[in-house]
Amino acid sequence: MDLFIRAVTRISQLCGIIAAGLIAGGVLIVCQMVFVRYVLNQNTIWQTDFTTYCLVGATFIGSPFVLLTRGHVNVDVLPLYLGQTARYWLALASILMSLSFCLVMTVLTFNFWHEAWEQNWVSDSMWRARLWIPYATMPIGLGLIMLQYVVDLLSLLTGRQPPFGLKPRETAEEAAREQARQALGETQ
Amino acid sequence: MSPTTQGAIVLIVTLVVLLSGAPVAFGLGAIAISFLVIFQGFDALHVVAETFYTGLQDFTLVSIPMFVMMGAAIGSSPAGKDLYEALDRWLYRVPGGLVISNLGACAIFAALTGSSPACCAAIGKMGIPEMRKRGYPDDVATGSICAGGTLGILIPPSITFILYGIATETSIGRLFLAGVVPGLMLTGLFMLWTVFIIWKRGFHSHAIDFRYSWKQKFESIPKIAPFIAIIAGVMYVLYGGVATPSEAAGVGAALCVVMAVVIYRMWSPDKWWAILRDTTRESVMILMIIATAVLFGYMLTSLYLTQTLAHAIADMHVNKWVLMLMINLFLLVSGFFIPPAAIILMTSPILLPIITAAGFDPVWFGVVMTINMEIGLIHPPVGLNIYIVSSIAPDVPVTKVMWGTIPYVLCMMLQIVLLCLLPEIATWLPDHLMGAIHAGGG
Repeated sequence: MDLFIRAVTRISQLCGIIAAGLIAGGVLIVCQMVFVRYVLNQNTIWQTDFTTYCLVGATFIGSPFVLLTRGHVNVDVLPLYLGQTARYWLALASILMSLSFCLVMTVLTFNFWHEAWEQNWVSDSMWRARLWIPYATMPIGLGLIMLQYVVDLLSLLTGRQPPFGLKPRETAEEAAREQARQALGETQ
Repeated sequence: MSPTTQGAIVLIVTLVVLLSGAPVAFGLGAIAISFLVIFQGFDALHVVAETFYTGLQDFTLVSIPMFVMMGAAIGSSPAGKDLYEALDRWLYRVPGGLVISNLGACAIFAALTGSSPACCAAIGKMGIPEMRKRGYPDDVATGSICAGGTLGILIPPSITFILYGIATETSIGRLFLAGVVPGLMLTGLFMLWTVFIIWKRGFHSHAIDFRYSWKQKFESIPKIAPFIAIIAGVMYVLYGGVATPSEAAGVGAALCVVMAVVIYRMWSPDKWWAILRDTTRESVMILMIIATAVLFGYMLTSLYLTQTLAHAIADMHVNKWVLMLMINLFLLVSGFFIPPAAIILMTSPILLPIITAAGFDPVWFGVVMTINMEIGLIHPPVGLNIYIVSSIAPDVPVTKVMWGTIPYVLCMMLQIVLLCLLPEIATWLPDHLMGAIHAGGG
């Protein structure tokens, strides 16, 4: 099981690197677009679509990494005021709900991608981009989030991770201090 | 089942799911899909994937990671320290100069980074020890920095305004301009209160025993000026109609990264990765909430819940200011628990028809909502700024920091009241520069 958890963690980290690359690529393309449009006074054809697709891709592909690093915001007031047992069951319920959502969305977005692939859908813009390419990032990303959630579930069930990543008997103030320490660390 | 009953069920389930501790993005998505299936059957799922994707396929959204990257580049550099030093060295002999330089640095740095915690950390690390050294009371030193940090979501460029603009289809440029005067006024109110309280408590508010040389005064300016110039350039390009927000933000982000690397010699790949990692985490989190909030909004609209709620409130014939008070109380309580981005994306599409039907200007409401969200940033239990400041000054009890923030919370409430009495505080600048529009026109 440890091997599986390690492998999924590595995949999620790789997702983070790919998403960061897509965002950096988006920034560079926007700069290129501004140069072509305003300095060379030429028309731009593919840049707007390409940057948007980069961002869509980064959102879905980067999501498992954000989940791994607990970056998806949540409201942790209730978990903080509950006892250990109730916290455990609540964490289990919240993981199962998110996992189910990702499972349903993976299936739905896969069908959507498949339709675009089979019918060779292209964008309405002058570029006529093949839409199955950006659409593919949805089932891939959501599938990988699902995988990361399976790891979270296994870690919770086997006691590898405490519910919501909170230490036993961690109070609201301690959790807030921990959050502040992390935020301070990030701004060094 | 009537839409009113459906609405009540959706509201209760949404609250339960959000409080369960599940990520807001996935919680909203799960609620949307569940209710679509329950009330409309499995056929409703055919459009879910397309709606989910369409929510993100908007070039305006590109500006979000760009502005986040701009803030991450400046936030991860020592620019905050230099900004603080520059202001302090020029204003240290002015009565109340230290307060003005602290809050001024907070306002400028918050505008540059758009991040409240980054601002508190950067300015607080320098400002709080200095204020305490010069005899300022602990609650004033910590409270003022907590409050100063919140200005980032009001003074443009602000991601909060971008999210509100996207969620309500209101002009982002107009919102940015609408935030300028209230942002400056709020900074002024913070400064006035701080100078007043230290004067009342009999503390010296300026340093009399030393002087900075002209060389020292000019030392920090060359380092910080390029960042201010970039942001000013981005705003100019935006309002000059030269480029779209995404184009301006994209070039601004690239320039800020280059400047941070060149000026502060951030050559190591670790520092580059830190900027990219923070940008990715924050942007993906926001964009994922946007995608699922669109799905949530689609569910509310297709079940006629948004329309029913707007009609029900209109039929109640409540006084519009009572309605505004109720909305603000609701937002205030939500802000104590939920981060601003999530609240804006979830509630503003629902609130927009209500406030426009009551005759309020959506741009003006965006400013009121943002100031309201600022209160949540310095109010327990979430109140991240309080704990950041408490980590910087660990010997000050956290309760003292909390009490120190109360006067600033009251300043924010006063600013909201002033905006209600004189809406032109927010609308004058956009109307003057971009031409007036009628309420409801966005």
